[in-house]
Amino acid sequence: MSNRQVAMVIDLNKCIGCQTCTVACKTSWTSGEGQEGMWWNQVNTAPGHGTPKDWEKMGGGFKGGEPQKGVRPAQGDFGEGFELNYKEALFEGAGNEALKPIGDEPQWGTNWDEDVGAGDYPNSYFFYIPRICNHCTKPACMEACPRGAISKREEDGIVVIDEDHCRGLRFCQSACPYKEIYYNHVTGHAQKCVFCLPRIEQGVATACSRQCPGRVRFLGFLEDEDGPIHKLVNVHKVALGLHPEYETEPNVFYIPPLSPEKFDDEGNPTGEDRIPLEYLESLFGPEVGPALERIKQGRADKQAGKGSDLMDTLISKNFLDLFGPFTNHPREIERIATELEREPVIVPPSIEIAYRGPGGSSQ
Amino acid sequence: MRSEKISAIADYAATTAAGWQQIAAETVEMVPAPVEMQPNGFIQANWRDRPYGQLASLEAQSVHDGTTLAVRLRWASEKPETGGREGFPDGAAIAFPIKGEPVLWTMGTEDEPVQFIQWQAMKNKIRSVVAWGIGSSVPGSPVSESVTAGWSQGYWTIVMLRTLAGGPEAATLEPGTDTRIGFAVWNGSNEERAGIKAVSVDWSPLTIEA
Ligand code: SF4
Ligand code: SF4
Repeated sequence: MSNRQVAMVIDLNKCIGCQTCTVACKTSWTSGEGQEGMWWNQVNTAPGHGTPKDWEKMGGGFKGGEPQKGVRPAQGDFGEGFELNYKEALFEGAGNEALKPIGDEPQWGTNWDEDVGAGDYPNSYFFYIPRICNHCTKPACMEACPRGAISKREEDGIVVIDEDHCRGLRFCQSACPYKEIYYNHVTGHAQKCVFCLPRIEQGVATACSRQCPGRVRFLGFLEDEDGPIHKLVNVHKVALGLHPEYETEPNVFYIPPLSPEKFDDEGNPTGEDRIPLEYLESLFGPEVGPALERIKQGRADKQAGKGSDLMDTLISKNFLDLFGPFTNHPREIERIATELEREPVIVPPSIEIAYRGPGGSSQ
Repeated sequence: MRSEKISAIADYAATTAAGWQQIAAETVEMVPAPVEMQPNGFIQANWRDRPYGQLASLEAQSVHDGTTLAVRLRWASEKPETGGREGFPDGAAIAFPIKGEPVLWTMGTEDEPVQFIQWQAMKNKIRSVVAWGIGSSVPGSPVSESVTAGWSQGYWTIVMLRTLAGGPEAATLEPGTDTRIGFAVWNGSNEERAGIKAVSVDWSPLTIEA
């Protein structure tokens, strides 16, 4: 059990599906060998098959507290990594080459069914749902590892895999109901989102949060009563965990999506929600209806000029208000490390750094 | 079984070495490691209704030359599985009690550790691990070991070599004494790994000839 829990709230009403978070994560964490098809952050289109393909049918997690059977996803279920023919298409092809994957035709990928969604025109619908490891309060992955290689950090509740102890047995992959663990076939280890712990430790928001142009991701400690997470989850009760029935108590929460209205045959709005409530309940549980009502109420209050703390929090006019205690600039990481260690950071001479020592001098 | 004293271990290092034909082979009965003994509910849930450890028996032989002990194992395996990129390899292990009288199936206790010498089909080496109970195995102190392995016509044959001398993390084997030996086999094509394996029903007595 951890003393404090870092958590994230993702506002699905603001996510534009740009995948900037996905790329921020990829370049930060999974550009190594054996990580080609690894995306610790995924932005899925819902309804859809998700990442890995049809992960919601793969089992794992608990039921009535009992561990459940689960499928171990193969790399093919996530999709293999592939490169595009940038050189030929963009630089040397004189405009005759189309941009396409090199090598075998890819069969699946992290956002393969992007924007497909469900429903019939003009009442089709979809929304984006970014996903990472949920750093669960009851991590099924941790319980499943016979080596004790997975732990939940006491200081912040981040769930980490110790690669010195991981032997690639992959029981965790079957047990995690969110299928957020990958296997690196080069190193022979299970790997997953680390909640950017080296950034978090230095008060810097996760890369996916900080880079998000939609300002979709709130961060903070669940217990911090002044922070946005506590407000959205516990006070306004508008942020819900994905698939609470998996019983791992995820610490990534979602503001459920409001719907556009349906159109009738004449093209007139009917007042009905296009995204079926039953579908949202299948994702977020029975609390989603009341949560949506509270969001609508907040919006109505704001429109009526009455003001709404909920809307102000969700809009978060000040960018840094999104991040609770994690407001340090990523550029500051080096400086903080330097001050702590009282030693200059060693960087290749070709890289210019702005080094501000304790005395305030810069070089 | 007996570990016969022979003059030069090098003559027995190959799986196909002629000398092995003169050495008595013991048939060891194997059973699936019980699902109740798997270390957590997830592994139990996944394997309760799924067959594993189906190997009924293996053949074991042993010789030593006063310095090095060789154990030759032979067991049926439909196809050799090295695990490839994402799978799990075929494997086998022999076990020796380091101290006291540990229970084989629970892989020793804190006071009575067990040494395992483990072979995996995708690697050309064996490694020695020491266990003080299920899930507690760590690489043991290096003792000089080597292995040869070959699959042919539905059978794996491997010869594992280790020095008789041991230490705190490796069983000491002394000519002229009795000890015990245990066995485990993993069928990689069935995704068997860790505690999901076939094990010998109990220790077999092992006499190391003087
Ligand atoms: S989402 Fe999966 S991998 Fe992450 S902590 Fe929960 S059970 Fe473990
Ligand atoms: S960066 Fe933000 S807006 Fe873009 S896909 Fe990710 S969460 Fe959505």
